[in-house]
Amino acid sequence: MKALAVSSVTFSYDGAPQCALNNFSISVEEGRMQAFLGPNGAGKSTLMRIITGQLRGYSGEVLIYGDKMTDRSALISIGYAPQPISLYTALTARENLRFFGAMAGLSDEQVVLRSNIVLEQTGLTAHSEETVITFSGGMQRRLNLAVALLHSPKLLLLDEPTVGVDPQSRNHIYNALMELNTAGMTILLSTHIMEEAQRLCSSVTLADRGEVIFNGPMSEIDNLEKLFLEKTGRGLRDE
Amino acid sequence: MGDFKLIFRQLKELIRKEMLILLRDRQTILLLFLMPVALIFFLSLAMEGVWADKLTGRKIQLIIENESQSPKANLLEEKIKSNKLIQPVDRPHGVDNDQIFADGKAHAVITIPKGFDEGDKPVEMYFDPVIDAGYKIATRSLITSLTVEVVMGIDNLETVVAGLVTEKTKPNKEFPSPLQQTVPAYAIFAMFFIAIPMSVGFLREKKDGTLQRLFTYPVNTNLVILGKIIPYYLINIFQFILMLLVGVFIMSHIISFSFHLGEHPWHMLPVTLVVAAATTGFGVLVASLARTPEQSSTLAATGAILMGVFGGIMMPHVLMPMVMKKLAMISPMYWAHQAYLDIFLRDAAFVTILPKLIVLTLFAGICFYIAGRRVQWM
Repeated sequence: MKALAVSSVTFSYDGAPQCALNNFSISVEEGRMQAFLGPNGAGKSTLMRIITGQLRGYSGEVLIYGDKMTDRSALISIGYAPQPISLYTALTARENLRFFGAMAGLSDEQVVLRSNIVLEQTGLTAHSEETVITFSGGMQRRLNLAVALLHSPKLLLLDEPTVGVDPQSRNHIYNALMELNTAGMTILLSTHIMEEAQRLCSSVTLADRGEVIFNGPMSEIDNLEKLFLEKTGRGLRDE
Repeated sequence: MGDFKLIFRQLKELIRKEMLILLRDRQTILLLFLMPVALIFFLSLAMEGVWADKLTGRKIQLIIENESQSPKANLLEEKIKSNKLIQPVDRPHGVDNDQIFADGKAHAVITIPKGFDEGDKPVEMYFDPVIDAGYKIATRSLITSLTVEVVMGIDNLETVVAGLVTEKTKPNKEFPSPLQQTVPAYAIFAMFFIAIPMSVGFLREKKDGTLQRLFTYPVNTNLVILGKIIPYYLINIFQFILMLLVGVFIMSHIISFSFHLGEHPWHMLPVTLVVAAATTGFGVLVASLARTPEQSSTLAATGAILMGVFGGIMMPHVLMPMVMKKLAMISPMYWAHQAYLDIFLRDAAFVTILPKLIVLTLFAGICFYIAGRRVQWM
């Protein structure tokens, strides 16, 4: 079964001269960890925002486990860790989890139970009562991921989850993702780090300028970075 | 979880989150609570002096120089010195009138010259050039009356005149006491400053992505709006209560004016609820107009200060010139302040306050309408 099926999605930002996504299609099989790669301006974040219901006014179709995205309750199937660390820095880690847990519809008891689990998964149990502003970049990144995992989503969308973190935190995140995927969670990972994609993912979708330019299993790719540069060119992308 | 239960839980957590963020921000606490308390404290003290001068009648400091030393001159000197409005002052040795006025030692110098008894020379009055016109007229009138008493041999001219002219002035219901002016004025001022944390918080959430993240959950947009407005609305009400308590229980013991709540103190409830709606409306409007937290701070602070200047917050409305009195009506702070003065000062019936509340409700409605049209959640 397809966990995510995006078909022929076209989207333009107001006033933009060209489409951010042009007849864009991507699908992710259930239980797979799939890399979603592309240079700046490829449309990765735009697609993530469309899938998570943040952007409207697109043409095409987005299905999550067969359900149309028109109903916002379908969002509950998705866990989303955005690229900017989107946390309330004045709140503690546990207060952030409590807040987002309530938004996801978890009960008080479920929030406490799940918070303990995701704090453990992300190595933040010892810091759960500290305000996020005191956290290092790596800790904030891990909490960003913990929030996305809190309501036990079936499909996890990660937008550059290891940007700006030290190797220790990055490794912790990799291990957590592999464990989650092994346990059956479907993951779509958007990243600029080729080693990360090659190490974690079983398939890859490569996009550029709002269009899909490559789709295939990771096992058939010898050098992902070489493939990436061949497909997208070596020119700088200052956009 | 049932729909209603879920919505209630989400709203409760939205409010809780907003409150926690707000109360952990020291700058916000200073701005919303300490700033108005300090303004009430210091401006009440400052205005106490103005009120003493303008209304309760500060004594006129006079240097009286009797060059004549004749019986009539001595009697006049005695009458002037013993008058309850006069505070006699001695001339410092070797100091001329200009220096006395420049040093603020006296308001006027009265000289009874040689030849006064014979009617050759009149009593001379020298006033401080910057003396208030009211003081000058009062002093001239007093010295004239006392001189007439002495020259005409009348014992008490005031008693004689009382049969001819009598004062029937009603108690002043337009001029607020320092506390009646400053407590509601700066409570309202601070309530409008809620626009700063409100708009900055909203724009910061937009900037750091938490607002966008919120919309990746099944949360109704109206619920998010309510979750943003309710905490600030409640804080506004708390602000007013705090300022009122400061005025009634603290400031009234520090300065010599008591704070009267008026005959209908319960009118404060609808007035405060409507004023809080207007202030949160202003906050929402600023949040929808500004693009960055820095822009919203400037916009909210400038807007609140201008409304305060025009609305009779900085200077009592009754002291403003006519043009400014008319201009004041463009400020919602004017309507809010007048509504409170209706309660504290004029003991007004609710129907008198109602038009002011309608104006404030309209202001709130317009703010929310414009904000609703302009706000960009993403």
